[in-house]
Amino acid sequence: MVLLLIHVAEQGLLYGMAALGIFISYRILCFPDLTVDGSFVTGAAIASSLVVSGGVNPAVTLVLAFLAGALAGTVTGLLHTRLGIADLLAGVLSMIMLYSINLRIMGRPSISLLRVETVTRGISEGIPLLGSAALLVVLTGAVLVTKLLLDFFLRTEVGLALRATGDNPRMVTAQGIDPRRMKVLGLALSNGLVALSGALVAQYSGFADIGMGVGTIVTGLAAVIIGGALIRSRRVGWMTAGVLLGSLLYRLAVMIALRFGYAIGFQASDVKLVTSLVVIIALVVPGIRERLSKGAKTC
Amino acid sequence: MKRIGLVVALVGLMLAVAAGAAPVKIGICQIVEHPALDAVRQGVIDALKDAGYSEGVNVEYVIANAQGDMSNAAIIAQNFRAQGVNLVVAIGTGMALAVAEVYRGAETPVVFSAITDPVSYALVKSATDPSENGNITGVSDLIDVAADLAILKEIGAKRVGIVYNPGEPNSDVLTKTAKQVAPGLGLSIVEAVADSTANVPLAAQSLLGRVDAIFVTTDNTVVSAIDAVVAVAIDAKVPFLVADPTSLKFGPAIAAGFDYYEHGKITAGVVARILRGERPNQIPVTYVTGSQVHLNLDTAAKIGLTFPQSLVDKAASIYYGGHEWEKVQ
Repeated sequence: MVLLLIHVAEQGLLYGMAALGIFISYRILCFPDLTVDGSFVTGAAIASSLVVSGGVNPAVTLVLAFLAGALAGTVTGLLHTRLGIADLLAGVLSMIMLYSINLRIMGRPSISLLRVETVTRGISEGIPLLGSAALLVVLTGAVLVTKLLLDFFLRTEVGLALRATGDNPRMVTAQGIDPRRMKVLGLALSNGLVALSGALVAQYSGFADIGMGVGTIVTGLAAVIIGGALIRSRRVGWMTAGVLLGSLLYRLAVMIALRFGYAIGFQASDVKLVTSLVVIIALVVPGIRERLSKGAKTC
Repeated sequence: MKRIGLVVALVGLMLAVAAGAAPVKIGICQIVEHPALDAVRQGVIDALKDAGYSEGVNVEYVIANAQGDMSNAAIIAQNFRAQGVNLVVAIGTGMALAVAEVYRGAETPVVFSAITDPVSYALVKSATDPSENGNITGVSDLIDVAADLAILKEIGAKRVGIVYNPGEPNSDVLTKTAKQVAPGLGLSIVEAVADSTANVPLAAQSLLGRVDAIFVTTDNTVVSAIDAVVAVAIDAKVPFLVADPTSLKFGPAIAAGFDYYEHGKITAGVVARILRGERPNQIPVTYVTGSQVHLNLDTAAKIGLTFPQSLVDKAASIYYGGHEWEKVQ
């Protein structure tokens, strides 16, 4: 049971990285960015194909994955700001393009990482002192560092300009900031994080698959919204903490659905239904409902 | 005195049997809901029952389905490990990969099923020599693409269109194989790509006028939308061969291969061997043989095709007059 909770926490953190990215685009920039379903796989594709075919150091591929994701986000940003394509559509177009691009990068629909070195396995097998919690400890550290860096960035001048852009693009122009540049920057950062998450998830799971990104926007938004419902602060540090908490809770809900769904008569095919039910129950816990009804500014 | 000894012996025997009869926990997991994969699962359970392993008596099944979601696949595998499952049956490439990663270097045997190319997906090191495959073995559904293409050639095809989903590992491997062997048979291949069932009709239609035969492999996506391809094939009056025998009644001119329920039964055979004491690294990957040809005479009439007698002689069943007729052996 403890082992299972460790795995839930690991997944919560791995996908929490993507949730942080979606937090930037959805909450900070008010941009519903569907690119993430594609950029998540791009990160995985880069990380896996470079390790398997190119023998590149798996840690280096993580950096490259981030950059690839940033590139994808930039494309979406440019489609929107320079070509005037609506935000949702720009994201969708990028996502569709990335499907073909990702297949090209991988060369096949699935790449197996079973027989190569990966960062996650290197960590979990390389620190015998911490046993089965090794990866969790390192991941917690890594994700916390990422979160803190993000918090710090969002309090810098550029970061504040980013937040202001999402709030009121016209006022921002009056202040002498180019909202178009900010949007591109925000989307690049966002998708970079999502791609990094994809790369880590691929190494963690032992394979990269062309379909692994489907639903990234959904689970990311779930994490962001759950987090927002539980931690109702407008301060950046708390908001990002909420996102990570939301990601952990969502993964916990999935685990509960998979493990205990049968006990209440559910079948294997009902996993998604049960997951949503668990999330609804978690949000309806007394006190949260009335806080929700007061209506937070979402976007 | 003798009687007490006998009773003690009997009790001892019963206890020994009881201890050794703790039900074996078998985890069966599949990557997605799909009739073919569901059939494999059912085949495994039914055949194990025939082999003496009945649910609730000496075997306990834990069934899980990743619903096409990779993160679920990882959690399912981790769940199995946490529950102390004694043997895992993983159906579908995505599921097998997730299970292989979680059970890396473990003692628990893993049996994969419905994987077309386990070697290139690194599930096993070698298909023929299992000694370094660790705790993994399984059954491959690799179809004999060359044989299927030869059938199409036999009925006069020159340009063969293949409708497939490049996102499916099995289809990717088979299409690449087809492109490799086709020139040797004097055939050329035209590809039509459908990344989801919704795009299958368009993909099939894109072949109109460009091919004189259509070939679909064990592609889950396209087989799910087979009616669309059948419609196009009949419109264009070209023969359509699908590598899934259970699809014959939906209208393809020819169905060749083995069905997935049988595939499941063969998988159960491997599982039974392991339950009886063999280790996975003693069992080479099983490649299913014994593919059969099934002909649809109704469709053939619609497209003006007459099957050569040699093909009819080989057929295991014929679809005629709206009904499938098994050949009496």
